[in-house]
Amino acid sequence: MNFTNFDFDQLFGMSDDTNPLMMLIWILPIILFVFYGQRIQLYITSGDIKKGIKKLESFRNESRTELLNYVKKNLNPKDDPTKRIDRFLDYFTIMPVDMDPNGIVEKVKHTVRSREDYTREQVKSLSPNIDDIELSKVQTLLEIASSLQMIHKIINHMFLTAKKQNNYPLILPLQMILPFILEQAEAMKDAIPAFKAGQPVGDGIGPMVVGKMMLNSNKESVAFQTVLAKTEFENRQLFLLKAEGPGSTVGRPGDALQKIVSENNLDAIIMIDAALKMEGEDSASVAQGFGAAIGGIGTERFEIEAVATSKKIPIFSIVIKQSIKEAITLMTKEIADQADDVQSQVYDMIRENTKEGHSILIIGVGNTVGVPQ
Amino acid sequence: MFDKKKITIAYSLEKCSKCGMLRKRKFADGDVLFSESSKCASCDGVTNIEKIFGETLEQ
Repeated sequence: MNFTNFDFDQLFGMSDDTNPLMMLIWILPIILFVFYGQRIQLYITSGDIKKGIKKLESFRNESRTELLNYVKKNLNPKDDPTKRIDRFLDYFTIMPVDMDPNGIVEKVKHTVRSREDYTREQVKSLSPNIDDIELSKVQTLLEIASSLQMIHKIINHMFLTAKKQNNYPLILPLQMILPFILEQAEAMKDAIPAFKAGQPVGDGIGPMVVGKMMLNSNKESVAFQTVLAKTEFENRQLFLLKAEGPGSTVGRPGDALQKIVSENNLDAIIMIDAALKMEGEDSASVAQGFGAAIGGIGTERFEIEAVATSKKIPIFSIVIKQSIKEAITLMTKEIADQADDVQSQVYDMIRENTKEGHSILIIGVGNTVGVPQ
Repeated sequence: MFDKKKITIAYSLEKCSKCGMLRKRKFADGDVLFSESSKCASCDGVTNIEKIFGETLEQ
């Protein structure tokens, strides 16, 4: 068969004897896409987004059910807690005005802590005899369920607004952010079993390393849900600081640092924390650097940086890389296996950057659920 | 093409404080990191929980 003798004129209807039907077949889709292209794209994209929203809805419902079951089973409340918990789930936080940023950190800190204190009191009121570990678990489960509810509400609102207005450009940013939102929401949903069982999560690697170093030392409470132990290493004084485990808390390392510095002279601070890995980076890889390795809303980091700057204390950090899912779900074997290596890196760092007679503060940053000291 | 279902199983790793023997077993309710766990199977020492971690299996 000869494939070289195509008559292109005939094939595309470009010769004089053009078929009007062929012309229509060509022109109609062009007109259709020019005037209705965005609408067609809107319908196609809507299908994907609807599926995503359905997933978010199932995560929200699942987290609410898990929370309710946990409260009913472990807190034995006198009355049915469903109504009160549904009210907690709808709580919102209004962040302070930042038009004048002067003093914003204190305001944010006050707002966030007020919310935490309020939630704690509300959970306590469900079961007045609840112990602190159980209380912190319920508080975390409440935060997860509340976050998933908020995420579903916002994404659904954005989608419905775009649909209502038939506004394709409005749906584009939603289409772009949805995979990231779904990844985070799924991670939060998957975090529930670990927090319920009181198992360590990936973010707890910092407290795990410091908790192990603290094991045979006397511990004292230095700030709210934060413990300090003093020990010695090669003629240097070590201050070991972490959130008080095994409850689900990150403690208040900023407040603790202020107290420690008011009573002691520190020569270096070493912070150990989990850090989000970049795509392509190996999970559980360890890296060293400078500056305060601490996440969260930023108030703790601000406090630590302020104290360190005023006292001219260098801050070194060791981070253990992991994905968002690994950080808040049951600690993986790869991350747990790095604990001993991180501990030896801490000692190396002390030897390399300090002299005998120096005082060093080592902070294990992260959620200490399932990690005692 | 077909996503395999992933399940995560929690394990506790016990380490004998005397002979250093390691034993991996499934996580049990009440297991807490660094706490005393059981008697060592190879000596008369006591094991502590050294690590608690999850391993993901594809089904």
